[in-house]
Amino acid sequence: MSVVNITNVNKTYGKHLAVSNLSLEVPQGSLYGFIGPNGSGKTTTIRMILRIIHPDSGSIHVLGADSAAAANDQLGYLPEERGLYKKLTVRRMLLYYAALKGMSPAEASSEAKRWLTHFELTNWANKKIETLSKGMSQKVQFIASIIARPKLLILDEPFSGLDPVNTEAIRSTILKLREAGTTVIFSTHDMEVAEKMCDFVFMIYKGNKVLDGTLASVKSQYGADSIHLRWDGSSEQLHQIQGVQRVVDMGRYQELQVAGDPQEILRTLVSRGSVQHFEITQPSLHDIFIRIAGPEASMDAQSSKNQNAEFGAAS
Amino acid sequence: MNKVLVVARNEYLIAITSKAFLIGLFMMPVFMGGAIVVQLLTRDQVDLSERKLAVVDKTGRIYQTIEKSAAHRNEQEIFTEEDGNKKQTQAKFLIEEFKVEDGSSDRFDIELARRVKEGELFAYAVIDANVLDAAQPGQVSYYTQTPSYQTLLNWLRGVVNGEVKRIHIEEMQLSPESVAALTQQIPVKQFGLVEKDADGQVKEAKEENRILTFAVPFAGLMLMFMMIMSVAPAMLNNVLEEKMQKISEFLVSSITPFQLMLGKLLGSVAVGLTLSAIYLSATFALAYSYGYGDAVRPELYVWFVFYLFVALVIFGSIFSAIGAACSEIRDAQSLMTPVMLLVIIPMFCMGPILDSPSSTFSKVISLFPPATPMLMFVRIAIPPGPASWEIVLSTILVVAFALACVWAAGKVFRIGVLSQGQAPSFAKLISWVFTK
Repeated sequence: MSVVNITNVNKTYGKHLAVSNLSLEVPQGSLYGFIGPNGSGKTTTIRMILRIIHPDSGSIHVLGADSAAAANDQLGYLPEERGLYKKLTVRRMLLYYAALKGMSPAEASSEAKRWLTHFELTNWANKKIETLSKGMSQKVQFIASIIARPKLLILDEPFSGLDPVNTEAIRSTILKLREAGTTVIFSTHDMEVAEKMCDFVFMIYKGNKVLDGTLASVKSQYGADSIHLRWDGSSEQLHQIQGVQRVVDMGRYQELQVAGDPQEILRTLVSRGSVQHFEITQPSLHDIFIRIAGPEASMDAQSSKNQNAEFGAAS
Repeated sequence: MNKVLVVARNEYLIAITSKAFLIGLFMMPVFMGGAIVVQLLTRDQVDLSERKLAVVDKTGRIYQTIEKSAAHRNEQEIFTEEDGNKKQTQAKFLIEEFKVEDGSSDRFDIELARRVKEGELFAYAVIDANVLDAAQPGQVSYYTQTPSYQTLLNWLRGVVNGEVKRIHIEEMQLSPESVAALTQQIPVKQFGLVEKDADGQVKEAKEENRILTFAVPFAGLMLMFMMIMSVAPAMLNNVLEEKMQKISEFLVSSITPFQLMLGKLLGSVAVGLTLSAIYLSATFALAYSYGYGDAVRPELYVWFVFYLFVALVIFGSIFSAIGAACSEIRDAQSLMTPVMLLVIIPMFCMGPILDSPSSTFSKVISLFPPATPMLMFVRIAIPPGPASWEIVLSTILVVAFALACVWAAGKVFRIGVLSQGQAPSFAKLISWVFTK
């Protein structure tokens, strides 16, 4: 059963096409990662799911409902740009947000207490938001998005700006909520997090859906054309090896996209230096992202456009 | 509707439990009381330096009286007694006669002007030779380089006219009794109307207290103006602050922008009504303790609350829409200016309406919806008040206008609250109103 069902949705801002003919289904209980470069249409898609903005055409059904009031109380939302009432106390602010989701004061109070304890913020319950550290504020905002026990939780960049301890606290809570049956959509720029956590990945680029499916199915589209390498040579040397199409230097290792025989490449590498690690693998999500949205992809697209134009002119 | 009330309650509680509310609550009467105290204190701060006046009396018959009147004034009229102590409250006038020979063609005024410029004289006056000519009276010309000081001029006017009148009466050889009869002043008092109650008992007309008659509408108008100025711009700041702090996006994921705006509006209106209730209660208690408990007709309280409610809805919704449309306080201020003019219009019209509440101008301007709450209250507060049809028509118009403002503001709020960047123009705002 789909919790979110988007069908042929279009959205423009003036002359700018933000989302083009988008269709997407988010299965119940899944953890769906939304990835894409800045300005690609992620936040617009999320806002349309939340009915904050409306599509120009197409339909969006959330939790089986097509009206805002019917589903909004069952949605939790953590916006990318956090905002809390600085002058309110933590507890009062959480109760207010819970009341907006239709929770009774008694229920809201009990949930607030539970989550403040979970995130070790009990001592801060009666302190004003403005006295909290950035990490604490982020956790309070996260609690505000889950306090009403949503069936669908939408998180826009939930880990941005968090230290590893707070990241882990929120990450484990998200996974527990998913285990308890909550469907989670989250957008992120951190491909490693998306790769580790998500059941499904959806990538939007320039308003168009370019990837959608389980992580395995997405990766299988690209085949095993990647090599993770650790050797004592330089990146420049790798570029000169026949069959190596692209090199991404990750610091302690390099990620190669290859077109030729990997065994031949290994032989060349061994002849030119000392190889500590050589692994033939599927491309990482990070690598796929770069292939789609990186500068080389843009240049490729531009050059193919130019070639087409030249061809058109010649013929 | 429940969520609207949740927002309204939150807005209301945040506002009335804030320090700013308590400070504002006490500071407004403190400032107003302070202004009165300052006026009382500065009332006695009069420049008591002597004013020297040179008089050129071409009649040769008036100067003596001027000199005597000044001497009498300097001895008797410029002092007040406080606890047995004599205290000078006005400047002394010193009079000097400047003689000009008959038929002289010398420019004596050059000399007098020089003395005024050098500070030797404060002013000089020239009494024409024919001021006593009843058929073609001349004039008194008063020359000074301090035209803002009118006390000496007014005193001189009274003395000269009194003396001219006395000389005419003397020449007519009238008896003192005739003079007294001719110059007698009859008091004219102002009353309300005689009324007959349900039992047929006639209630005598009460003498009108002119100050009270104007004090009630004036005070009501000022209080309403202050409430609008306290609540509406605060709403703009509140909406803008939530937008700048990125709270709005979180809120509109739970409720619609229209519900959010309506909740904020109701919360702010409730704050304004609470403030007014406190001030009205305090004023009533004070008036009651001084025996003026019945100075304000009970129905005026109802009209005041109704008009204040409508005014806060109108201006609150307009200001909140501006707050939602802008991303910076600077942009909001420039959009706010024309709206402020709408708030101020009734203040400019107050004088003519107090003077003539039933004139065509008063009727027309009080039917202009943004001005209706303040001006209609003023007209109702001045007996006998406007005709019933005017009250009904203005109420229909102002309520319809208030609802239209809320609807239009909701449309602007919906688009504006998530928009970023440069503030839209007025034309753009209007296009947002009609965007689906």
